[in-house]
Amino acid sequence: MKRFLLILMILSVGTLSFAEPDFKLMLEEIDQLGSFDDTDFSCVYTFVSEKPGEETEVTQARMFRRDASGQFVMLILKPEYQKGQGYLKVDDNVWFYDPESRKFTHSSMKENVQNSEAKNSDMDGLSLSEDYDVNSWEQGKLGNFDVYILNLVSKNDEVSYPKIKLWVRTDRTIVLKEEDYSLSDRLMRTSYYPKYVQVGEKFVPSQILIVDNLQEGEKTQLTMKNPSTASLPDSVFSKAYIERVNN
Amino acid sequence: MRDVKIALRNLTRQKKRTILLAAAIAFGIYIITMINGFTGSFIENVSENFSNMLAGHIFVEGVEKSETGRTLNIVRNDEELMLAIEETNTPWKYITKRSDLGGTLIFAGESMRQSITGANWEIEEYFKQRIILKEGTFEQMQEEKQGIILSEKVAEKLNVEIGDRLLVKCRTYTGQQNVGEFVLTAVLIDASMFGGTTAYANISYVNELLNLQPEEYMTLGIYLEDMDLIDQAAAALYANLQTKVSMFERQSDDDENPIIAMLEQQDEEEWEGLRFQLMTLNDIMKEVQQIVNVLNTAALIILLVLFGIIMVGVTNTFRMVLMERTKEIGTMRAVGMQRGIVRKLFLYEAFFISVIGVVSGLILAGLTMFILMQIYWGVETPAFMLMKNGYMTFILSPLQVLANFAIVSGLTLVAAFFPSNKAAKLQPADALRSTN
Repeated sequence: MKRFLLILMILSVGTLSFAEPDFKLMLEEIDQLGSFDDTDFSCVYTFVSEKPGEETEVTQARMFRRDASGQFVMLILKPEYQKGQGYLKVDDNVWFYDPESRKFTHSSMKENVQNSEAKNSDMDGLSLSEDYDVNSWEQGKLGNFDVYILNLVSKNDEVSYPKIKLWVRTDRTIVLKEEDYSLSDRLMRTSYYPKYVQVGEKFVPSQILIVDNLQEGEKTQLTMKNPSTASLPDSVFSKAYIERVNN
Repeated sequence: MRDVKIALRNLTRQKKRTILLAAAIAFGIYIITMINGFTGSFIENVSENFSNMLAGHIFVEGVEKSETGRTLNIVRNDEELMLAIEETNTPWKYITKRSDLGGTLIFAGESMRQSITGANWEIEEYFKQRIILKEGTFEQMQEEKQGIILSEKVAEKLNVEIGDRLLVKCRTYTGQQNVGEFVLTAVLIDASMFGGTTAYANISYVNELLNLQPEEYMTLGIYLEDMDLIDQAAAALYANLQTKVSMFERQSDDDENPIIAMLEQQDEEEWEGLRFQLMTLNDIMKEVQQIVNVLNTAALIILLVLFGIIMVGVTNTFRMVLMERTKEIGTMRAVGMQRGIVRKLFLYEAFFISVIGVVSGLILAGLTMFILMQIYWGVETPAFMLMKNGYMTFILSPLQVLANFAIVSGLTLVAAFFPSNKAAKLQPADALRSTN
């Protein structure tokens, strides 16, 4: 009987230690961690892009987000020749403003930010739980951290990457690494999230390294500065603001 | 008749002066005729080159609204389209079904953005005749599913050779990221202004990259037997399609280009499901027609400026003629010649000079055109789109030639009118007394 109980205990402990976490909840937590549903959010991003045989390019952009209504404004501050360009997202529409032509043209959150490896969607709030299902998972290590390695597949055919692999810390829900795959299952880019900063109650990556896995040597490092949750005027999220701020 | 003879004789009295005046008029006519000849063939050549490049004269595209409101370009089932072509007896020569993707080609650290057109090489005989391959063959292209044809310049920039495998980073028709691999099968000579940005591949593989089904495609192209039938055939096809499928309206209230009108409906109107849009080469060429109109207007302004200058010359020359012939006019008037005849003599002379000038200018322009038309300029010149298979062509409308002749003669007569009027008004006694 004792033997039976011992086996039962071992099995229970084993089952507990390998109990499948609630990944849907985990994805929701990841989404929530970087989403500012109750406040506005603004910061300044610096993109340092390296491409073989080309000079390192530095782009700086000021970003304003109102996640509650899905609004997003990004104004390019540097380099000088691109200063004044801006992106505006209202609902599902994304507009790009060019101060030279003084015209807005349709753009997409899937477009790259200027000449970098980062996409407009990287600057916006996440919606992993809405767009992806966890197809499989395993436990592993990334550096000194114990992580869950999640294989996500898209629920619809309109998200940028049909497959994503995420490395999430087991002790707290923070993404450390992300691999994005094409429809043909080819690794396209890898993002590393080495640093996070607490903004209000949220954790936001303050540094991201994006490596292009198709074009060897191409990478972009994003650094976030001056994060703020101060409330923004409604007028910021308008075409008129982007036009006015350039004049 | 006697007056005409005297006028002709007068012209030969000062040969140099006559030749110089006629040469000035000939120069003006030469310039305007060359411009008119060029713009005359411009539309025809550009239309033909565009139709080759776009694979058709009439195009039908399917536009679908996704559940999330995105606009997707796809023809899933073309039964109704083919039925409409059959029912309207559209005089087609070739029908093409194509899919296009925009992608970045990557090879050994080099990358380049290209528009990749997927075609069925087994049936696109006409298009194959229009593409000039420098290396590789179409047979190899048909055998290699992942084959790609690049332009010479792109192959050079990417440093690829036949048989090399290139990566392509692209998006599916719904916008998802995808990566594929092409094998360079052939290299073409840049044969159009888009040669540097367009590559060709097999539609089966392009569809795979776009995540389309094998039988699906993006654009149905119809090559007609005769380009002049475009509007008529398109109208019939459009009317028939309207009874079968939902179509975007080609007409707009403010008489816009149908392409713009249809794009505006896609963006601004509330619609859902699947709709089709019908475009023609003439819709695209409307913008080119505007260029031709600008060129023709510029040519007319040049003509008027040139002849403004020539008119001053004609007026001065005839004033000198008047001074030289004052006594002669006095004598003629004294023996009974009427004022009207004196005026006519001057005007006949001016008219003959303009005729000599116009005819000389036309002959010279004709000769120049003939010589230019014999020269093979090649297909690598940036002006290829303006030529016909690498040769310059000129098309002159007889009406335009007549109009130019009328303008030149009219202006010359106006220029000569004032001195001739003065000559006619001379009193015989005063003219005979003149010391000139």
